[in-house]
Amino acid sequence: MIRTAITASLLLAFGGAQAQDKPKPPPAWHQGKPAAMADSKLAPLAGKMTETPAGEIPVDKIKVPKGFKVELWASGMPGARAMAQGDKGKIYIGTRTIGRVYEVTDHGDKRTSRVVIDKLTQPAGVAYANGSLYVIAIDKVLRFDGIEDKPEVQPVDMTDKFALPKEQHHNWKYIAFGPDKKLYVPFGAPCNICEPPKEYAQIRRYNADGSGMEVLATGVRNTQGFDWHPKTGELWFTDHGRDWMGDNGPEDELNRIDKAGNFYGYPYCHAKGVVDIDIKKKDACKGVTLPVATMGPHAAVMGVKFYTGTMFPKEYQNTMFIARKGSWNRTVKLGFDVVNVRASADGKSAKVTPFMTGFLEDPKEAKFWGRPAYIHQMKDGSLLVTDEQLGAIYRVSYDGGKKK
Amino acid sequence: MRLLQPRRWGIFLTAFFISVAQAQTEERLKLCAGCHGTDGNSPIAGTPSLAGQPRVFLENYLVLTREGLRGTDVMRQLLKGITDREIVALAAHYAKLAPRAQSIDVDRKLFERGRAVAAKNRCGTCHLTDYRGREQMPRLAGQREDFLAEAMFAYQQNRRAGGDTIMAASLYGIPSADIRALAHYLARLR
Repeated sequence: MIRTAITASLLLAFGGAQAQDKPKPPPAWHQGKPAAMADSKLAPLAGKMTETPAGEIPVDKIKVPKGFKVELWASGMPGARAMAQGDKGKIYIGTRTIGRVYEVTDHGDKRTSRVVIDKLTQPAGVAYANGSLYVIAIDKVLRFDGIEDKPEVQPVDMTDKFALPKEQHHNWKYIAFGPDKKLYVPFGAPCNICEPPKEYAQIRRYNADGSGMEVLATGVRNTQGFDWHPKTGELWFTDHGRDWMGDNGPEDELNRIDKAGNFYGYPYCHAKGVVDIDIKKKDACKGVTLPVATMGPHAAVMGVKFYTGTMFPKEYQNTMFIARKGSWNRTVKLGFDVVNVRASADGKSAKVTPFMTGFLEDPKEAKFWGRPAYIHQMKDGSLLVTDEQLGAIYRVSYDGGKKK
Repeated sequence: MRLLQPRRWGIFLTAFFISVAQAQTEERLKLCAGCHGTDGNSPIAGTPSLAGQPRVFLENYLVLTREGLRGTDVMRQLLKGITDREIVALAAHYAKLAPRAQSIDVDRKLFERGRAVAAKNRCGTCHLTDYRGREQMPRLAGQREDFLAEAMFAYQQNRRAGGDTIMAASLYGIPSADIRALAHYLARLR
């Protein structure tokens, strides 16, 4: 009976095309679109792949709480996403469609950037450890040894050791080394909504050389950011909710891994217990680890950073900054900001407060100019925030409003 | 003497570089016109019309071709080393030109079949119901029929990569005869 229900819902999810002679999977982002929304014109928002000159970036439109200051720190890097910092201070930045990895060098009064490598398939994942830069594209894992001193170093190809599955959708990656020195790598569901094949919808960790792979969490649709709690060392991760279930849900998630092997609900159970309309299962939310907080419908929650610096006021200690790149699958746009999230270490009483806004100018007309994507904490306690739309990095600092 | 003030030099240099960039763009446009038509409407079989294409689509295509991530060998050669500034200028130029359908002989039956295939596959979701395209999604109305058919077959056979896999997946399993009807229909829209 359950099997029949799943088969029936799969038929529905794939547009009933199985009944015809040729199976026709709809585009991954289109799956699960109900007949009632067939005429919807919602589509993924266009990125910008040309350089935006510094003078055309309206940094003065960004709003932050009193005492904080935002400045344009670097620009001219189309598609800039996650950042990883080398031992000597260089910042490495991944991208998706444009296929590049950038390196930014800070000269104090100004920054310069260069392309480390290009022509890769969505090299979104960058991490730095043991003197090496790690880059993970959808179909490639590269390691650049000693790159901060040797800009021309040829990468070591480690692809074979990581056994990357072949589907592309939701398999552009955020990666990071944990306190256990292991490399954490997500494998998103290759669809909007489907029964994911067994290699997908999970977070794995590997030793730095690609050995010792473990699956840490399953039922994870598409995580594009995570960080470790400064006190407990537990991993907290963002996860994008499914599309085509209406403007108001299911909401994106902020999750916490209190033990290896947790199941986070996809594709049966979303947000704080929203049962899926396409992939049905009895007791859909049974055994599911529910999120610490819901982060807004279609908000596209990206980078997470626990704040451990001393520059910001004390109340920000150990709270999270989370970038929400902004929604496409929603008639009234939402997100396009950085929020601050406070929660107890056990994930209770989470509270989400807007922190950095002003990128979204008209939610009803989808008028926006920037899309905050990732956050990096500098040694002085300031934060760097990438804007994937304009290929820029903003620096957020705090001076208590003392200086003019 | 006032000419020596740094601010004035800045203005002078900016004006100088803008005029150099314009000259470069004009040179390049002559080259483009050889195949894509002086008004951006291609007279050459298999070569797409660019007139009236969305600016973002043109920019993305030019960047990705320069980067070696898509496009034909010929286009990759032609765009080697082109700057983002030039790409922005070229895209703005072609986006403003008026599209003009190259195919006028209508096969009524094929046209109606194409209309039905487009409606059934909801091409208008992204390309809009009049197929004028928007943002990163190209204009299909009035595009050359031979180019449209070849582009769609190439997507189906994984010979053509886009910014992502959306088009290949969208065209998966559509019979060849329907693709030809689609191309016939779209090429004749204004």
